Amino acid sequence: MAIVVNDKKRKGEKRLGVLYDEGKVRRRREWRGLKDTLYDYGRWLYLLSILARVIVKPRNVKAMFRYRWFANYLAVPHMLDKFTIGLRDEPLRITHTAMDFVVKDVAQCIDNSIKGDRRTGNNVKYSDKCVLWDENAMTAVMMGFPTLNCILREVPTMFSANLLNQHSGMHYLDVAQQFGIPGDVCPMPEAELGVSIDDDFPVLGKCAVQVNTTCDGSLMGNGLIAKRLEREYGIPTFQLVAPMRHTQEDVQRYAANDVKAAIKFIEEQTGEKWDWNAYFECAKRVNNTTRNRVGWLEVNSTPYPQFVGAVFSLYNDTNYMGNCGRYPAFVDIDKKVMKLVQQGYKNKTMMAPEYRHRCIVWGVQPQYIIDMLYWMIQCWGVVPLTDMLSMVISEEIAEEDTPENREQAYYDMAWLTMNMIMRNHTHGGYKVLVDELWEYCEKMNADMVMMWEHMSCKALTGMHGQFEEQARERGINLVWVCHDLADPRVYTRQAIRDQFNQYMRTVMREEPLDPTIEVLPDEHAW
Amino acid sequence: MSKLKMLPVKMLGGGAGFFAVTFLIYFFNLDMKFLAYCVEPILLWNYDRIPRKQYV
Amino acid sequence: MRDLKHLNWFENLLQEANNALIAQAKQEGKICVAFVCENTPEPLMNLGNAFGIRLHAPNTGSMDIATYYMTSFLCETSRALLERAIEGGFNFADCVIAPDGCTMINRCVENMELLKTMGEGNDRFFHEFMEIPLKADENGVELLVLQCKNHILKPLSENYGIDVSDASIRKAVGEHNRVCRVITEIGNFRKESRPRITGYEFHVLTLATYVMPQYLIIDKLEETLEEIKTREPEDREYRARIAVVGSEVDDSGFIKLIEETGAYVCADRFCFGSLPGRMEIELNDEEDALTQVCRHYVYNGHCPRMFNMEKVYGRKAYVNDIAKEYKADGIIYQQIKFCDPWAYERLLGSTMLREDYNYPVLSVDRPYNISSSVGQMRTRVQAFVESIEIKKLQGGAK
Repeated sequence: MAIVVNDKKRKGEKRLGVLYDEGKVRRRREWRGLKDTLYDYGRWLYLLSILARVIVKPRNVKAMFRYRWFANYLAVPHMLDKFTIGLRDEPLRITHTAMDFVVKDVAQCIDNSIKGDRRTGNNVKYSDKCVLWDENAMTAVMMGFPTLNCILREVPTMFSANLLNQHSGMHYLDVAQQFGIPGDVCPMPEAELGVSIDDDFPVLGKCAVQVNTTCDGSLMGNGLIAKRLEREYGIPTFQLVAPMRHTQEDVQRYAANDVKAAIKFIEEQTGEKWDWNAYFECAKRVNNTTRNRVGWLEVNSTPYPQFVGAVFSLYNDTNYMGNCGRYPAFVDIDKKVMKLVQQGYKNKTMMAPEYRHRCIVWGVQPQYIIDMLYWMIQCWGVVPLTDMLSMVISEEIAEEDTPENREQAYYDMAWLTMNMIMRNHTHGGYKVLVDELWEYCEKMNADMVMMWEHMSCKALTGMHGQFEEQARERGINLVWVCHDLADPRVYTRQAIRDQFNQYMRTVMREEPLDPTIEVLPDEHAW
Repeated sequence: MSKLKMLPVKMLGGGAGFFAVTFLIYFFNLDMKFLAYCVEPILLWNYDRIPRKQYV
Repeated sequence: MRDLKHLNWFENLLQEANNALIAQAKQEGKICVAFVCENTPEPLMNLGNAFGIRLHAPNTGSMDIATYYMTSFLCETSRALLERAIEGGFNFADCVIAPDGCTMINRCVENMELLKTMGEGNDRFFHEFMEIPLKADENGVELLVLQCKNHILKPLSENYGIDVSDASIRKAVGEHNRVCRVITEIGNFRKESRPRITGYEFHVLTLATYVMPQYLIIDKLEETLEEIKTREPEDREYRARIAVVGSEVDDSGFIKLIEETGAYVCADRFCFGSLPGRMEIELNDEEDALTQVCRHYVYNGHCPRMFNMEKVYGRKAYVNDIAKEYKADGIIYQQIKFCDPWAYERLLGSTMLREDYNYPVLSVDRPYNISSSVGQMRTRVQAFVESIEIKKLQGGAK
């Protein structure tokens, strides 16, 4: 691939290694030139204000001293520093616009969880309007229940926590393994089960819905979590099925029927009625999100990608899966991001002195070093054009309220549920996992694939040999980067980066753009 | 009158002071250093003390 | 006890996946339908001129090539099967039907397909992947019916001209039930305080019914049943009666190992065991046979992937029921290494059986071929058996 050179001189810090020491946090923040540093400073103040609004409430202070996962949220500004490493101009603003909103969304989720939590907020009236929803699932079925609060309690306890602090899952993994779960299962559902065993989930809600979406581990962990919910806390659970072979016509009716059953269950438990107006309003926003995501991917197919990396993935996850059209605020954020993306493309803004390789990031990302995608840009000039988790639906769902569309809506909700982030590729047969990767490489003009090999993800590693052989046949540079998702004891951050470093030096025979960050002393960092 | 005249100056001074202090905290990452080295250890110590009903 | 007349014959046949009976059936012009999961309705693979064979990989040693394709973290069953397929050990198959049940077995068969391990020179060869219900309800029955039509009956009929009519299904169910009846009757002898068949012998017979053409072994099974009726039991007490629950046990050596410690394996509630795998399918004349077969599999299956809570609790209640019926003193929850569904089920099952039902439970993982871990496993089973004995001596809980 032709190297794209940045003709604009980079302002501020040029060697980013100076920011790191052996500590938990960085030595200091990055100097990005006056304008961008002041912008970043302003966003830092804004972030602190979001956090202050949460912690100022007495129930949240109480929760901070009760729930172990809460301490991870001390690291929010640190996480943003990781995600903005080396960024200037539009990409810096895109990252902040999108990620700060994700932070706000998670902060809201924490606040809501604690409000209804029997141990802390204990607002029974509020709790009775809450439905606990499986974090590893689309929230599509909640689109027609505008008066109910959909609580994804695993998001703040496990998913987001591990983005903030690499050590966040370790205690819960140890608890789960101490009780007999083997160490080879996926750490995500394992840690979630650990939270349940450790009695560290907020307890709230009138009922709960679990879905089998991500993997066998997640499906199976549900049973153990549901047992505690039902037997100890008296919260009835519903298991919603999402067929594995989601591309096949002959599973759609099965899935749609179960969506109907889930709606019935929620109606019975909460006394609320399904609202078609609300549903179709949400459906319009889902389609808007889809159009925007496709638009951003189009820009990323050009020589000047703008919205990339961990935040591209996390924002899409949040908007597509956790939000699923339910919050109008995402529409404005989408607009702002789109404006910045178009502006950046017009200005030919780049994130590094040069782009040497255009890379598709495939596989399951490690939560605790998800910011590595920005490191790849800065250290090696490898641009992550997109990642597997962001490659969800590109078709639109029915959005007009007609009698036919009301029936279609069940199929659409089922289809969304089956096409949850990640699982729409890891499940459904090898075509969606392997064949589609090569199609994306072609569409996005990629010459490299960075394969996150989540060692405990059996659906992914089960195709290891096929990836390797087919990449070789196609002449695509495939970099294996092995990790254990949420457990840095198995692969440290540097062990992960080293896999990439070695490939770039020995196979590609290249030298880093910024050698000061090739090795980072962040083993003990948040 | 003079007090009113001084108000913008005071506000400017206050704003400048606020900016100077917070920017120093921001740039030298003092917020994170404080939370990482002073607050987090206390919270972790506290979590280990809480009796928990651990079971499947 | 006196050796069973045909045991050695069955044991020898189990040494090869491509055993002599499969070769015989193929020579007779029959079509071999290979399958890999107990959620696949078995009678549908024994329709007309077809015979169903569950893939297994006896005497597995190295799994290096399969490990390259699927890494060392995939369950050993899936790797052992892929390795055997790559070696050409399953070339007898005329098609493979795999449910997208557990992810790893699904990936195993997908690799078989991509690597073209089977079907060379056979234009009619096919791989089919089915969706399997995740809950026991009528919606699940409807799904399974459709899946069976699209992924078993239609391709069998179109590719091999197999008769898939209702009458043909009823006939296959009748033959299936005949096998189930024999195995169940033999298995019932395990309830005796001085049983006339060992757990190992029973496992050999049961495994044979899955991996050999049933029509070629039914007479020997029936003869064995008659033989057992008059067989003199062992003149000794077993140290403990154990129910084994968990992942599929393809290696009878595992059951033998448990019994070598002086224990008796009185019940087999594992994938491709007899409980509930060899439960008869009851058909009525009011409803079509296919729907009834599917309903049987949806409601009577005990696959851990069935995740509605009624099933989740029901699986443990079922283990309790069979433990009572077969007078088990303790339960071994075992899981093939790296199996995700049974990893979680083992934790919940062993906890509930211990705490809610008061059984001593041993919870272990094991390799596909037990010979690679005999010492370790024996030590754990011995300790478990001793602990049960001590409890008995002290008059404590079961």
